[in-house]
Amino acid sequence: MKKKLLSVLLCVAMTATVFGCGSSGDTASSSDGAASETPEAETPDAGTEAPAESSGDALVYWSMWDAAEPQAQALSQSIEAFTQETGIAVDVQFKGRTGIREGLQPALDAGTNIDLFDEDIDRVNTTWGSYLLDLEELAKANDYESTANAGLMAACREVGGGTLKSIPYQPNVFAYFYNMDIFEKAGVSAVPTTWDEFLDTCQKIKDAGFTPITNDNAYISSLFGYHMSRLIGEPATEEVVKNGDWDNEAVLKTAQAYEELASKGYFSATIESNQWPAGQNTELAMGEAAMYLNGSWLPNEVKEIAGEDFKWGCFSYPAVEGGVDGTEASNYGAQVFAINAKSTKSEQAFQLITYLTKGDADKLLSDMSVGIPADSNNAEWPALLSNVKPVMDSLTTRYPWAAGAEANADMTPIIIENFTKLCGGSLDAQGFVDALKAAGN
Amino acid sequence: MKKNKTMIVVFLTPAVVMFSIIFLYPIFRTVAMSFFKIEGVTDAVSKWQFSGLANYIKLFNTELFRISMWNIFRIWLFGGILVMSLALLFAAILTSGIRFKNAFRAIIYMPNVVSAVALATMWLQYVFSPKFGLFKSIGELLHWEWLAKFQWLDPSHLFMALLIAYCFGMVGYHMLIFASGIERIGTDYYEAATLDGASRIQQFRYITLPLLKGVTKTNITMWSISSAGFFLWSQLFSMVVSNTQTITPVVYMYQNIFGAGNSMTERNAGIGAAVGVLLSVCVVLIFMVCDKVFKDDDIEF
Repeated sequence: MKKKLLSVLLCVAMTATVFGCGSSGDTASSSDGAASETPEAETPDAGTEAPAESSGDALVYWSMWDAAEPQAQALSQSIEAFTQETGIAVDVQFKGRTGIREGLQPALDAGTNIDLFDEDIDRVNTTWGSYLLDLEELAKANDYESTANAGLMAACREVGGGTLKSIPYQPNVFAYFYNMDIFEKAGVSAVPTTWDEFLDTCQKIKDAGFTPITNDNAYISSLFGYHMSRLIGEPATEEVVKNGDWDNEAVLKTAQAYEELASKGYFSATIESNQWPAGQNTELAMGEAAMYLNGSWLPNEVKEIAGEDFKWGCFSYPAVEGGVDGTEASNYGAQVFAINAKSTKSEQAFQLITYLTKGDADKLLSDMSVGIPADSNNAEWPALLSNVKPVMDSLTTRYPWAAGAEANADMTPIIIENFTKLCGGSLDAQGFVDALKAAGN
Repeated sequence: MKKNKTMIVVFLTPAVVMFSIIFLYPIFRTVAMSFFKIEGVTDAVSKWQFSGLANYIKLFNTELFRISMWNIFRIWLFGGILVMSLALLFAAILTSGIRFKNAFRAIIYMPNVVSAVALATMWLQYVFSPKFGLFKSIGELLHWEWLAKFQWLDPSHLFMALLIAYCFGMVGYHMLIFASGIERIGTDYYEAATLDGASRIQQFRYITLPLLKGVTKTNITMWSISSAGFFLWSQLFSMVVSNTQTITPVVYMYQNIFGAGNSMTERNAGIGAAVGVLLSVCVVLIFMVCDKVFKDDDIEF
């Protein structure tokens, strides 16, 4: 008897689960907000409930930030203000970098209701390019570009295949960040713009008792990429990396330049052991090392360790003799907002994007995350980044990430391993080239 | 009980349907995907481009994938030997009637309760740190210069560092399984052996070990499964971009499906599927070998 009862219960439970799943899925996909199934919704005071949670009327924004990050906190505050001002409810979901990278495309393919999302300029425009709404007309109708950063808008059009499919915010730039106090103590009066000046700077810093250069495994391939790109330009560097053309003489030249830096003791003694964020936290931010090639997000990442009195300097990777590119070339970009081509609320979404990337909201984001403002009217940059502005303004050529050094995912870890050994002095220039050639076979 | 066909169908259908949707369909789809070039993992079948065995050929010709297979083999073999011997040793000690047994057991099991992210950060940024690490301090305290100066995290030693950190957390789990196996063995055998004059070591060798055969098989199976899916620790030990010392096939699969690091790299979910198929084949092989080596319990006790 007991067994029978149990089996009936189990049966009911199972069918309930199966149908329960089905019906909840149905409401999620068909929730157009026109009718609500709950009787309470028909009562007049139901309107006081937060619309973002109860109906499909809210604008759905999938964000690349984690809820705990300053960027997310600034955006949340601004979105709240936006809703109060316009009455447009926004359902913001902070997915984080990996969350959006893994989940966005499957969600879009499955027809999930997402109106707008954000991520890095390159990923949004290349990886997710086919899901984006063309924003040219919306931008024109709203006169968006009158106060936008022209260079970044041009970059968005370039990666968008000639048309505007994304709106940049939180601009960033990749360059050498340095501790101005150490430069001062070492008697370095001007930032190096050529390789010889760079060597000279390193020597002075070393003589003053500091470590000239440090880095971490996460960014060290950029040293290789930037030097190669200075020598032969970024497109050629990318070709070398993608096709495994390690016999190209620029590879050996780059390796020799770094062998020289290593042999002169310009790198941190623990450079080979620096697993991110060890180098940026314990060497640069603590005032032991002077220079680190990284993005303009660095001062924000280490601000708790470096303290408020840390004076940040910035200069573009130096030009090398006989090279194709000079200090005018570097990786710069932004996070970008984009609107789902299938969104039925594209105008509201664009309204939100405009609100977040201009005026007070842009300033709030810039202040809270120590980031670069996107609105050209917000001319005042956070104090920690004041020396980054001239560098950003001087750039005319845009490199992709790591100046092409990470263009071949199958080679990236191998380049990093051997380049790290080169910087640590446990491999010489020829050994570096040989190791890459061996891995290519 | 009378066999009621309708009841059998009613009870089996949900399970069979669920099993087909959740297990069989993905398996067949993954195997099929491994023969195609597919950019996005959720792309419609109409977008797939048939490429025959190209994905497999590319995998075998890619140094980085070979490195990742070698890493997973090293983790499975060396990590397995280390974890199993320590787990068995601790289990034997804990079940030998020592005092504070529960406290020791809790301490050894503790790392399993702590988040892997916290553990990895502790090992990476503190224990192995060349500036203020635990090992450095111990080396300085004992005037062992080799230990104080040892670079745990450089490209030559990173794998060892990863293995130590990972195994540290896994010992407790497998120890519990061994301990429960030992406790299952009746005390009569040991009493009889003691009367016959067998030492503790002889008792362990001739009673405990043979009777633990089934449990050992369980442990090795569990270990093989967790090794094959080795991903989190690899990610934590080389954040942002992968590393030759820590990359595993699953990390390689991830890179091919979702892109690598911060760079926009070519994606091919077909290669990811091929990696999955190869890993499954490896796991099945290990199971078959295990089954041969540890035949089903022929001893009853």
